[in-house]
Amino acid sequence: MAKNKADLLQGTLDMLILKALSLGPLHGYGIIQRIGQMSGEMLTVEQGSLYPALYRIEQKGWVSSKWDVHDTGRRAKFYALTRIGRRQLEAEEASWDRLVLAVTKMRQAT
Amino acid sequence: MSRFNILFARLNALVGRESVIHDIDEEFRVHVEMETAANLERGMSPTEARQTALRSFGNLGSVRDAAYEVRGGGMMETFLQDVRYAARGLVKQKTFTIVAVITLALGIGANTAIFSVVNELLLRPLPYLDAQRLVMLWEVTPEGRHQNTTSRANFRGWREQTTSFESMAAFTDQRLNLTGAGEAEEISVQFGTPSLFHVLGVQPILGRDMREVDGAKDAPPIAILSNSFWQRRFGGDPQIVGKPILLNGVPFTVVGVMPAGFQWHIKQRSGTGRPAEIWSALDIPTEEGPGSRGRFLSVVARLKPGLSVQQAQADMNTTMARLEQDAPRFNKGYVTEIIPLRDQFVGNVRLALWIILGAVGFVLLIACANVANLMLSRAAAREKEIAVRTALGAGRLRIVRQLLTESFLLATIGGLLGLAIAAWGIQALVAISPRDLVNLQRVGLNLTVLGWTMGISFITAVIFGLAPALEATRLNLTGALKEGKGAEGQSPRSGRLRSGLVIIEVALALVLLASAGLLLKSFSQLQKINSGFNPDNILTMVVRVPDAKYKEDRQFVSFFRQASELIRTLPGVTSVGMINYLPLYGGLGSGTGFTVEGRPEPAPGTEPSTNVRVSDAGYFTAMQIPLLRGRNFTDQEMNEVKSVIIINDAMARKHFAGEDPIGKRITVEMSDKPVPTEIIGIVGDVRYDSLVDPPEPTVYFPQPDLTYAFMTFVIRTTGDPLEIVPAVRREVRALDPEQPLSDVRSMNEVMADTVARARFNTLLLALFAGLATLLSAVGIFGVMNYSLALRSREIGLRMALGAQNRQVMAMMLKQGLLLTVIGTAIGIAGALALTRLLSTLLFGVSAADPTIFVGIVLLLMVVSLIACYLPARRATRIDPMIALRSE
Repeated sequence: MAKNKADLLQGTLDMLILKALSLGPLHGYGIIQRIGQMSGEMLTVEQGSLYPALYRIEQKGWVSSKWDVHDTGRRAKFYALTRIGRRQLEAEEASWDRLVLAVTKMRQAT
Repeated sequence: MSRFNILFARLNALVGRESVIHDIDEEFRVHVEMETAANLERGMSPTEARQTALRSFGNLGSVRDAAYEVRGGGMMETFLQDVRYAARGLVKQKTFTIVAVITLALGIGANTAIFSVVNELLLRPLPYLDAQRLVMLWEVTPEGRHQNTTSRANFRGWREQTTSFESMAAFTDQRLNLTGAGEAEEISVQFGTPSLFHVLGVQPILGRDMREVDGAKDAPPIAILSNSFWQRRFGGDPQIVGKPILLNGVPFTVVGVMPAGFQWHIKQRSGTGRPAEIWSALDIPTEEGPGSRGRFLSVVARLKPGLSVQQAQADMNTTMARLEQDAPRFNKGYVTEIIPLRDQFVGNVRLALWIILGAVGFVLLIACANVANLMLSRAAAREKEIAVRTALGAGRLRIVRQLLTESFLLATIGGLLGLAIAAWGIQALVAISPRDLVNLQRVGLNLTVLGWTMGISFITAVIFGLAPALEATRLNLTGALKEGKGAEGQSPRSGRLRSGLVIIEVALALVLLASAGLLLKSFSQLQKINSGFNPDNILTMVVRVPDAKYKEDRQFVSFFRQASELIRTLPGVTSVGMINYLPLYGGLGSGTGFTVEGRPEPAPGTEPSTNVRVSDAGYFTAMQIPLLRGRNFTDQEMNEVKSVIIINDAMARKHFAGEDPIGKRITVEMSDKPVPTEIIGIVGDVRYDSLVDPPEPTVYFPQPDLTYAFMTFVIRTTGDPLEIVPAVRREVRALDPEQPLSDVRSMNEVMADTVARARFNTLLLALFAGLATLLSAVGIFGVMNYSLALRSREIGLRMALGAQNRQVMAMMLKQGLLLTVIGTAIGIAGALALTRLLSTLLFGVSAADPTIFVGIVLLLMVVSLIACYLPARRATRIDPMIALRSE
């Protein structure tokens, strides 16, 4: 059961991470911040979910990572969208929209 | 791309596990620092800020593990863990591991060795261009003699009138004496039509190929050298082309050298019985002339692309029918046959090889059954461990995977060791293989063979690993944990599985034993065949005189006689004789038609024919061939032409039934002007062509009547015939220092060569059958021993209740023997079905020979009785008190 739920979240989480990175490269902490900002603080992502998801999509080739110096002068690992990642984001957004549309229609059909 | 990434990440994680973990830790640390800094900004105290940041990460350790798993640690890590675990387990159980590895190594090693031979002889392409289109063209004589040579006239007919072949070449082997620089030696020379190498698709590496003009009548003789001969005799001299060499005193100009490894030797009907070292051009006269009808040519042809052998055969049939009409006197009743080159080379070895490969396959199966049994015992012993792991949440798949890892590890070690055994085994195989088995020298461990070894290792791992693994994990959890002694919780299914394995082993062993037994009996029958002479203490050697040196026949006749006289005086020599073609020497003899004086001329195609040999009087004495009637040649008949002849018993019975042949006159068509000869004696039959074929009618000419430039000496000695070789050499050298001797062998060696193939097959099958029996005995012993361990309490109880030793023993033996009996019954059925495949390899014994079968069954019974007896005896020594208390 718990696993199913995680899988469901995971798919959404991938899209959120990709979306957050669509505006520019970020480190892990930055991604959590950006998702918070972009969702008007309605979505919070836990570190425990973020990093496994991040590594997974990195292996899929959707994002690339490198260690770089942060504007505060500290070193951090930055993630950036790859071309495949950008296409994946578009695809996931489109399918998300279809899902929303479908669910909306269902709800209006009462 | 992404797949590659994952793979790379996994490999990276595997190799650089530390660095991946470090990377993750570093990233997390930075994250916590950033969050702490943010918390500070929100006005928290430093301690509070850091703790909140850490808390938000949740359980850092498990997050890290999850992250690590994603980054590729997972699969490889588990796999390595399994391997490490398996290795630890194998090291802990040394006896089990050693027995299992050796069993597997023997099975895999034997398989690899035999497969390498099969691969070389049956699977690998022959070393000629497009070799699957190459075929041999032969004649079948009216008497039904297969793969017979053809005449130059017929070859010309085939070449001109058939349409199925792209090209065609004829060739014949001859022995010639090489003289000049270096020691004189006898060389096998192949005379081929100039198209020979073109048909085979091979070109000389040095110089040029034969040309049509080289094959013209009276063209200057040329020579193309084999690479090994060129290296051996001329040290690989790059300037050899254009130089002359002396063959039988005639200069041949060297025009080319063939590539290393090139060999073209068709044993069937070869005039020399050994591969050629020099090739020269053969002329095919365009008109009828003397000798154009003599049958001595072998023919190789290249089929047109896409044409089947059947289509070509139809073409050959029409052509031969036409040639028969054109020349009924020569071709009446002759038909043709086409043999694909591979079949020609491998012939009846093919079946034997597949059978032997099947036999080692059986051995491997038995090995698998044994190891599976061992694994089962081990799994039973580990039942509690497995139950605990299952209870702690390990999935069945996980445990099966782990047990299978163990099997694969075993198989891998067994495979590697097997490879070593195979490398050694191949050498042994080559060493004991019959000399005439094609190109066995090329057999070795190549990529195909390595692939095969890997393949069978993995298949064996699955075969012997899967059943026990599934069986082990099928157990009843609570039962296994509750049972004090684990082993007694064994399911009956597991017991049945082990019994089944033993039954299979016994059945397989029986099939192998029966096959080996049949071959052994057949081989001993072969040894018992009366060859017609006494081969013990006879030295044989070929002496060939150069034509150029002895211009007249009389000269070499007297040379042979002088040599014979000199050898006769040597100490230890009791008698000396000579014959042109030694019995069973492995090559062609001569034969022809004959007419009997006073009988009407027979219709074409029905002329009687006979083998023809040339000998001296001493031959019959030295070989101890009995004189049945009449008399031997006299001294006078050995010195001048007296037109007398000796015939063998088969000739007398077949062509002179009911009459006395002595004094009859026959004309044997051996020369251009055959003359009638008088039969003076009848000698016993000798098997010339092969041991198994019945003796054919044969006539013996005295040497002056039909001269040959070579003779095979047979020297009967009082001791080891090979000991007098130096003395014989000395005597011949004294007579002519340039005279080479060749094929110096004892007659027993010659005989051994003729049965070499049978001996090879028999030896291998006997070896594997022995191995199979041994492994089965180990299997029975293992099961009985294990069963004893399971039943020790029961036996103790029985004994406490008054059972006698005898009864306990009987109970144990009954259990073991029952398995053997069932296995034997299945094995007999299998053997009866399978040994029929052997029947063409058998001589003088039926494939269902009852004595062999009864013997084998008894043998297996005795072996299994011994294997059962040892554990059974231990059962009787069980102390009831200890057995009962042990719980």
